[in-house]
Amino acid sequence: MSCASGPGGGLRHPLRCREPWDEECEKEAVCVIMCASVKYNIRGPALIPRMKTKHRIYYITLFSIVLLGLIATGMFQFWPHSIESSNDWNVEKRSVRDVPVVRLPADSPIPERGDLSCRMHTCFDVYRCGFNPKNKIKVYIYALKKYVDDFGVPVSNTISREYNELLTAISDSDYYTDDINRACLFVPSIDVLNQNTLRIKETAQALAQLSRWDRGTNHLLFNMLPGGPPDYNTALDVPRDRALLAGGGFSTWTYRQGYDVSIPVYSPLSAEVDLPEKGPGPRRYFLISSQVGLHPEYREDLEALQVKHGESVLVLDKCTNLSEGGLSIRKRCHKHQVFDYPQVLQEATFCVVLRGARLGQAILSDVLQAGCVPVVIADSYILPFSEVLDWKRASVVVPEEKMSDVYSILQSIPQRQIEEMQRQARWFWEAYFQSIKAIALATLQIINDRIYPYAAISYEEWNDPPAVKWGSVSNPLFLPLIPPQSQGFTAIVLTYDRVESLFRVITEVSKVPSLSKLLVVWNNQNKNPPEDSLWPKIRVPLKVVRTAENKLSNRFFPYDEIETEAVLAIDDDIIMLTSDELQFGYEVWREFPDRLVGYPGRLHLWDHEMNKWKYESEWTNEVSMVLTGAAFYHKYFNYLYTYKMPGDIKNWVDAHMNCEDIAMNFLVANVTGKAVIKVTPRKKFKCPECTAIDGLSLDQTHMVERSECINKFASVFGTMPLKVVEHRADPVLYKDDFPEKLKSFPNIGSL
Amino acid sequence: MQSWRRRKSLWLALSASWLLLVLLGGFSLLRLALPPRPRPGAPQGWPRWLDAELLQSFSQAGELPEDAASPQAPHGGSCNWGACFDTSKCRGDGLKVFVYPASGPISETHHRILASIEGSRFHTFSPAGACLLLLLSLDAQTGECSSMPLQWNRGRNHLVLRLHPAPCPKTFQLGQAMVAEASPTVDSFRPGFDVALPFLPEAHPLRGGAPGQLQQHSPQPGIALLALEEERGGWRTADTGSSACPWDARCEQDPGPGQTQRGETLPNATFCLISGHRPEAASRFLQALQAGCIPVLLSPRWELPFSEVIDWTKAAIVADERLPLQVLAALQEMSPARVLALRQQTQFLWDAYFSSVEKVIHTTLEVIQDRIFGTSAHPSLLWNSPPGALLALSTFSTSPQDFPFYHLQQGSRPEGRFSALIWVGPPGQPPLKLIQAVAGSQHCAQILVLWSNERPLPSSWPETAMPLTVIDGHRKVSDRFFPYSTIRTDAILSLDARSSLSTSEVDFAFVVWQSFPERMVGFLTSSHFWDEAHGGWGYTAERTNEFSMVLTTAAFYHRYYHTLFTHSLPKALRTLADEAPTCVDVLMNFLVAAVTKLPPIKVPYGKQRQEAAPLASGGPGPRPKPQAPAPNCVNQIAAAFGHMPLLSSRLRLDPVLFKDPVSVQRKKYRSLEKP
Repeated sequence: MSCASGPGGGLRHPLRCREPWDEECEKEAVCVIMCASVKYNIRGPALIPRMKTKHRIYYITLFSIVLLGLIATGMFQFWPHSIESSNDWNVEKRSVRDVPVVRLPADSPIPERGDLSCRMHTCFDVYRCGFNPKNKIKVYIYALKKYVDDFGVPVSNTISREYNELLTAISDSDYYTDDINRACLFVPSIDVLNQNTLRIKETAQALAQLSRWDRGTNHLLFNMLPGGPPDYNTALDVPRDRALLAGGGFSTWTYRQGYDVSIPVYSPLSAEVDLPEKGPGPRRYFLISSQVGLHPEYREDLEALQVKHGESVLVLDKCTNLSEGGLSIRKRCHKHQVFDYPQVLQEATFCVVLRGARLGQAILSDVLQAGCVPVVIADSYILPFSEVLDWKRASVVVPEEKMSDVYSILQSIPQRQIEEMQRQARWFWEAYFQSIKAIALATLQIINDRIYPYAAISYEEWNDPPAVKWGSVSNPLFLPLIPPQSQGFTAIVLTYDRVESLFRVITEVSKVPSLSKLLVVWNNQNKNPPEDSLWPKIRVPLKVVRTAENKLSNRFFPYDEIETEAVLAIDDDIIMLTSDELQFGYEVWREFPDRLVGYPGRLHLWDHEMNKWKYESEWTNEVSMVLTGAAFYHKYFNYLYTYKMPGDIKNWVDAHMNCEDIAMNFLVANVTGKAVIKVTPRKKFKCPECTAIDGLSLDQTHMVERSECINKFASVFGTMPLKVVEHRADPVLYKDDFPEKLKSFPNIGSL
Repeated sequence: MQSWRRRKSLWLALSASWLLLVLLGGFSLLRLALPPRPRPGAPQGWPRWLDAELLQSFSQAGELPEDAASPQAPHGGSCNWGACFDTSKCRGDGLKVFVYPASGPISETHHRILASIEGSRFHTFSPAGACLLLLLSLDAQTGECSSMPLQWNRGRNHLVLRLHPAPCPKTFQLGQAMVAEASPTVDSFRPGFDVALPFLPEAHPLRGGAPGQLQQHSPQPGIALLALEEERGGWRTADTGSSACPWDARCEQDPGPGQTQRGETLPNATFCLISGHRPEAASRFLQALQAGCIPVLLSPRWELPFSEVIDWTKAAIVADERLPLQVLAALQEMSPARVLALRQQTQFLWDAYFSSVEKVIHTTLEVIQDRIFGTSAHPSLLWNSPPGALLALSTFSTSPQDFPFYHLQQGSRPEGRFSALIWVGPPGQPPLKLIQAVAGSQHCAQILVLWSNERPLPSSWPETAMPLTVIDGHRKVSDRFFPYSTIRTDAILSLDARSSLSTSEVDFAFVVWQSFPERMVGFLTSSHFWDEAHGGWGYTAERTNEFSMVLTTAAFYHRYYHTLFTHSLPKALRTLADEAPTCVDVLMNFLVAAVTKLPPIKVPYGKQRQEAAPLASGGPGPRPKPQAPAPNCVNQIAAAFGHMPLLSSRLRLDPVLFKDPVSVQRKKYRSLEKP
C-alpha cells in the first residue's frame, strides 16, 4: 500500500480503518507515522550550516559515528537472531558423559512386575490428559542421568544412539512439553531399548525413583530387544508395574491388547543403506532367506525347499571365508557365491522372516525396505503396530508347522495381489519403519488415538499408500438409500428485486405436490422485501431470509430453515418448468440422492488448440454439468459449498458474480466421484420477459468467462473431477406409444 | 547564548545517542560473553549432545549369535490360532462345518441357529470330513448343559457357540476349543482365536430381519443430540444444551424440559450413550445400530462384536467414561461429515451382519473361513463397506476392483468391453441375426452361446469378427447364471436366442452400465406389487409408470452376479428356478436388489418390437405372449429371502438428445429412434 491512499480504495471500502483489527488499517497507520518522521528529519540539515566549519565537520563526524554505531547495533540485534537456530541458543551444549550421577542404594524400592490385566481404563490416568488442547497428548521427557549402584558401578550404558534419536524426535514433535505438571505421558530417559545392556534390578530401581513414577502410571518405556538367555521372554523383564510398554517382539501371551504398543525392531541398516524404490513385479528369486544364525532345524527345512524348487529359492547364510571385518554383516553367502546384503533382498518377491530366540527381528525392516513381501514365520508374534496396520495387505503369515508348505502357499497368491503387497510393504517401511523418528511418532499417535478416539486417525489414513489416497473417492453419502417421498423438498429462490417474476415462480413451484417449504433468499440490502400481505398465498410455509451482502454464494448457504434433505435451487425467473417436470426431478433425486439433478445440461471439453478446458453449451450428446438455475441436490452440499470449498473458489465466485453453478458441479463431482443427472429434454431456461439471460448466455464474453471458470477451478482442485455421461433421465413411458392420461408425468415440457 | 543553547541541545542529543549505543551494544556483548542460558518460557527440549554421533547403537552386530537359540514355541496359558487350530483338515473344500446334534429338547433360538447353519454352504453331515466342529452351548432356560462330545479331541478345531453370555457353568475344560460368545469380557477374550458375537434378543428373526431405521442420510434438524438408556429398558433423549453432565447421577434429579420420549424402544437421537456392563449394554448397542443412532460406548469391558474384521471406529465412538466433559464437547463439535459417515455406517453394519440370526451365524463362519484362507481372505475394505463380506465372496477375488462395488474407493473404472452370453433354449434355432447385431457393437469382446436344448449343435456358425464360443450340455435354467471361466470381461450382456436388439441399443445400454456397474441395466421391465386381495405379492409385466425388475433375456450386469447366484443362493432357491423357469428372472432381480439395495435401470427399447415381445425365458414351445411367472414365485422367493428387497424406479435413462426435435445428424444414437 502506498502512503497516498487513493480515494477509489476508500470508496470501495468505506468501513476501512474503523476496525482496528483490520490488517490493512494497521499498515496505513504505520505509514502515517513514517511520513511524519520523514517530515521532521527535513529540519535537521537546516540546523548545521549555521555553525563554524571546524565544528561542523566535528559534529558531522560525531553524528555519523553514532549513527553508524546505532545501525550496527540494530543489525546485531536483529540479524543474528535468524541465523542462530534456537537450538544452539536455548539448549546447553554438553557431553553425555557430563550428566549428573545418581547413586541408587541397594535397598531402594523395586516396582511390581508388569500387570497383565492392565487396560487403558484401569491402569491409565486419563485425568492427566484433561489439560491437553487440540486432542493431542502432551509428553514429558525426564532429564538424562547416569545411574550407579552403591559401588559406583553403572547400571547401564547411559544412552544409546537410537534412544537419543527417539527422545530428540519426541522433543521436536508437537507432543512435547517441558512442563511436568501438564504432561499426560512421561518418557523416562533411562534407555531400555536392549535388555542385554542393562542390569534388570537396578534399572527397575532407577525407574521407581523417578519424580512422577507413581507405580508407573502414564509412563511409556521403549524396548526393542526384550528377554535374555536362556528363555528369552517376549516382553521386557524389567519390573515396571503399570507402565505402558512399546515393545518389539511381543507374543500373544505378553501383549496387553489396547494397552501396550507393538513396535518394530529398528534396523540400523535403514540409515546406512539407500535402497531406491523398485517397482512391483516379478523378480529373479521367488523366495529368499537371508537370516544368519538360524536354528539348524529351520535351516534344514529351508534347504529342503531349495532342493525341491531349485533356482527360484535362495537360502543364504553368513560368509565363513571372508576376512573378519565390519563389512561381514553386509555380506551373505550361498555356497561360494557372495551377495550384498540388503541389496539381494530386492531380487526376491518373497523374503522369509523367521523368528530366532526373539520373535521380533530387525530383518523385517530390511525386507520391507527392499519392497519384498515378508513371509512371517513366528507363531504368536504380534506384528509391529498391528493395532492400526493391516498386515494382511503387506505380508504373509505362515504357521511354523506349515513351513514345508510355504512355497505352495505363496504360489497360490495371484500376481496382482503380490504386486499390491510389494507396494504396501515399501509404503509401510517408508511411513513407519524407516527411522527411529517414524517409530516414535507412530507409537505416540496410537496412544493419542486411544485417549481421543473421536479424533482418531482412520484405517485408510494409516494403511492406504499416498497414491491410493489420492485416487480414491469416499462418497459422503455412501449408503444406498432411497429417502421416503413424504419428506418432500425445500425450494430456495435467490432473488434481488424482480418481485413480479419471483411471485410467479413461487406460484408455479407451489403447485408441485412434494414441495414442503419455500425459502426466499432476499439478496438486496437496499430494498426491503414486499410486505407480508403482498406475497402469494401458498399451501406450504414461505420464509424470507435477508442477507447481509449481495453474494452469489448466499444461494448455497446451509440455512437452518432447510428441514428436508432435498433442496431445489431455483432462480427467480425460472417460470417455464412445469409442475410435472419439477415433481419428476424430485423423484429422480430420490433415486440418486448423492448427485446434482438438474434440467439443462452443459459440457466441458478439452481445447486441443488452446491446450485448456472449454465450456460448451451446444446441444451435444454428452453432459457433465447441470445448471443450478433449477436443480435438486442434497442439503449437505450446501454445507460443503459454504465451509469446505477448496482454495479461494468461493470468494472468486462472489467477486466475479458468476460460475457459482460450475463451482457446485465441481464440488459435488469431486466429493462423490459421480456424474450429474440431467432430467427431461430441457436444454435452456427461456422465459418470455428475460431474453437478456439467454442473450447473455450466447454472448461470446460470457462463454469465455465460463471457460475461464472451468480452468480456474480445475487448477484449484488439482484435477478435473467432472464426469461425462451420455444419458439423461426421463419418465419410464416418456414419448412411448401409450395413453397420455395413464402416464404419471404427462406434461414434461419442451426444450 | 542562542548558539550555546543550540550546542547544549546538540550535546544532549549526542550524549543520549551515545548512551543508547553503549546500552544496546553492551547488552549484545554481554550476551555474547556470558554462557548461553535458556530463555524462560521457551520449551527447553531434549539436549543436543555434543557427542551424539559417538554414542553406541542399541544393538551390536556381535549379538546376533545370541539370538540363535533353539526353536521353542513361546509358552503361554492359552491358545492362539497358529497353535491350536489344525488348518490341514480344511484343505480342498475350505471350511466345512459339522454341528453336534442336540441331545434333548431344544429352544427356539437353538433351532433357528441349527437351521441357518444347515442351510449354509458350509454345512456337512460328516464329522470326519468337517474342519470345524460346532458345539452349541445351550440356553440357560432349558437347564441342560452339554456334556463332552464324542469327537472332542481336547477341543481341537472346535467352536463352542454361546449366544448368551456364559449360561452354563463350565462342565468340561474348553481345552483348545474356540469360543464364540455374545459380548465376551475383554479379559477372557483371546483376540484372533475367539469370536465376539452380538448379544441377540430372544425374538431376533431367523432370516431377513428388520431393516435399519434410518430414513435419511443426515440427522433431521432439531433431533436430540444424545439419547440415554433408561432403567427399564427404554431410551430417553437428553437436553445437552444446558446440563454439562446429562448422564451423571447428580443431574438426574433435575430433568430438564428437553427430556422427552420416555420409554421408546428404539432411540431417536444422533448419538446413543451406552455405559454400564454387559449384557444390558450389549443389547442396547444393537438397538442403537438398528436405529441409526451412533453408539457412544463408555469404557466397555466387553469386546465389540466381530471386532476382528469390523472396523468399529467407523460406526461407533469408544470413549473413556472418566472424561465425560471432553466426550460431550467432542460430540457437540463433531463435524457434520463425520456424523454423516458414522450414521450411515451403523446402518450398513446392521443390515450386513446383525439384522438376523442367519447373518450373525454366517458372519461367524466367514470370520473363521478368513483365518483359514490367510492371504485370500476378505480385505478390510470388503468387510467395512457396502454390501459387506457376506455378499462379496472372497472366493471370487481378493482384489476390490474385480467387484462391481468398489470402483470409487479404488479410483478404478469398469472395463470397456462386454461378453454377450446367448442362451439358446428350445426350439433351438441358432440366433444368427442377434449374433450379427451384438457383434456389431464396438464394445463387444466375445460372444458365448449356451446351447441348452435337445437339438444337436449346429456345425456352422456365422462368420463374425468376434470370438464365438459355444458351451453345450446344460439343460437347467439356472445354468444360465453359472460363472463360466470362459467369460473374461466384467460386463455380461445376457440374451435369449429370441431377443432382438439393434447394435445401437446395445451400445447405449453398455455405456449406461459403465456408469452403474453394480446394477442391472435392461430393456424390458416388470414390477411387483402388494396384492391386498390375496394378501401376498403380485407380479405384472404390463407397461406401467414404474418397474422393479428387468428381464434377464436382454440385460447388462456384472460377471460377479453369476458367482453370487451360483455360490451364495440357497440350493432350494436354485431348484425352484429350475422347476419354474420363469422364476429365474425374478430370482436374479431379487439377488441384485438385495445386494445393491437399489432398483435396476431401464434403457429405451425399439417400439414395435415391444408388442411382439421376445421376453419369453425358458419353457418349451413358442408362446404368443410373455408368460408371467406365477405370483407364487415372487412370494416363495420373498419368503426365502425373509424380506422384499425389490425397489421401484420411475425413470428411464435415454440418450441426451433422445427424441428431441433437433437435427438427427446431431444425435449419436439416432437409430434408437427409428420407428
